[in-house]
Amino acid sequence: MTFNVTEVLEIPIGVGSITVESLLYFAVILVVGIAVARVVSTNVRRALMERLPKSERELLVKLVYYGIVLWALVIALPQLKFDLSGLLVAGGIAGLVIGFASQSVVSNLVSGIFLMFEHPIKIGDGINVAGVSGSVEDIRILSTIVKTHDGIFTRIPNEKVFTSNITNYVHNAARRFEYQISVRYEDDADAAIRIIKEVIWTHPFALKSPAPSVFVDNFGDDGVNLTAYIWAPARNWWDVRTSLLWQIKQKLEENGIEMPYPQRTVWFADELKVTTGDTGTKGAEE
Amino acid sequence: MFGRYNDTFRYEFGDILVETVRIGGLLTYQRRCEGQTFERILVSKTGEIIINPVEPVNLPKEITDYLLMEFSPMLIEPGVSQTVYLKFPIEVGVFLEAARDIEVLDVFGLGTQKYTLYGPPTSGVIARWYQSAVYTEAPPVESFREGVMELSIQNASHEWAEVSCAVFDSVDMKIYYNDVVTTTAAMKIITPTMAETDFTDAPLRPDMTRSIELYTARKIPVINRGYLMEWGLS
Repeated sequence: MTFNVTEVLEIPIGVGSITVESLLYFAVILVVGIAVARVVSTNVRRALMERLPKSERELLVKLVYYGIVLWALVIALPQLKFDLSGLLVAGGIAGLVIGFASQSVVSNLVSGIFLMFEHPIKIGDGINVAGVSGSVEDIRILSTIVKTHDGIFTRIPNEKVFTSNITNYVHNAARRFEYQISVRYEDDADAAIRIIKEVIWTHPFALKSPAPSVFVDNFGDDGVNLTAYIWAPARNWWDVRTSLLWQIKQKLEENGIEMPYPQRTVWFADELKVTTGDTGTKGAEE
Repeated sequence: MFGRYNDTFRYEFGDILVETVRIGGLLTYQRRCEGQTFERILVSKTGEIIINPVEPVNLPKEITDYLLMEFSPMLIEPGVSQTVYLKFPIEVGVFLEAARDIEVLDVFGLGTQKYTLYGPPTSGVIARWYQSAVYTEAPPVESFREGVMELSIQNASHEWAEVSCAVFDSVDMKIYYNDVVTTTAAMKIITPTMAETDFTDAPLRPDMTRSIELYTARKIPVINRGYLMEWGLS
């Protein structure tokens, strides 16, 4: 008895003109598609392990998996003499409708993916984006969550984050801040500068390098204006800024240097005559 | 002060007081150091308290892993190696040890701290700064405030190199102690503006005890990585 493989493959299975061969092709394409989908989704999961929370990561992995399986199915279906032209027309129209409807969703999704790879912000960073200042609580696939400085939950769509100017206050290791300090004209500005530098030196997080700079900036209406530039670790600068100024004020006062009060010297063209009346004295006594 | 303690103990040295006392049947850890105090109730049956020197990058609060040692400038001939001794700052770590776990209870230290930036603000690192003279032999140090660092400097470049600072990643730091605290480090100059630094896991003297590092206690996985000084050596 002879066994002809070609003849076996060409045997119709009884549904239309589908043969064993086309059924096999269909199965092989589908199996390969599923295998590719598994490999790709596993790698996507691994790649996003550190970048995305589990719920969103799994959602994305499933999207990738079923996308590839669907693609394999579309390739395999013609083997079963399935006419996709009608499906394509319907799919095209549906795609157009869905595309318009989900335009912003897709835009946010793509922006979210770009944000994850570009890394302009990280969770915990102090930022200003799209007019919102605060710390980054979470970077999700569609939106970024910012907790404002007064503790308000703010959700910013990723498209807005991606297309806005992002100011990341802690991206660099250190940042500079400044004080404007006024002393009276009769005070020794050199002594004031020395004292201010000494106070800055005592603070552990007022960085030694870049060295702080304290100098006479200008002569104001009421006193000599000094400017102090101080560098601090970017994540601690606010603590340094809030603690140092009062210490400087106290130390200056301990050394007899005081902040000037607003004052104005008035010159009279004629000699000033001061007269005192009895009524005034009486009034004072009363 | 360094060592292992069970139940109640008391240690007082200058401005430092460390003790565990029973208050109302509860074991309480108390510490006073330069006017600052810390107290914790300990609920423990078999736990031991271990006190030893730790990496000096935790006070007043932990913001970096790096330690920058500044010393007198040295000009080093190409191909030449030299071992010098520096004084480095120490902090005191107090640990609680149970059969299968160790926990950081307290970190304190004498004196003040100062931090600096090594490199540019955009890509440099914040580092604990400490200044030391250069010694040819292990210098005498102030107890609980400083330790001795043996630093082997090798100029592997083809040019003279001027060195006045060394930056270390304290994650790799290995500290040994007995009556003095020591660490051993190496600095390999690759170019006159670039060097590799690393710590060596070796005591300066044979009879020393290895400190428990904070990274070990905090269960942070550590890979001995060293540090590449790429922003200059002075």
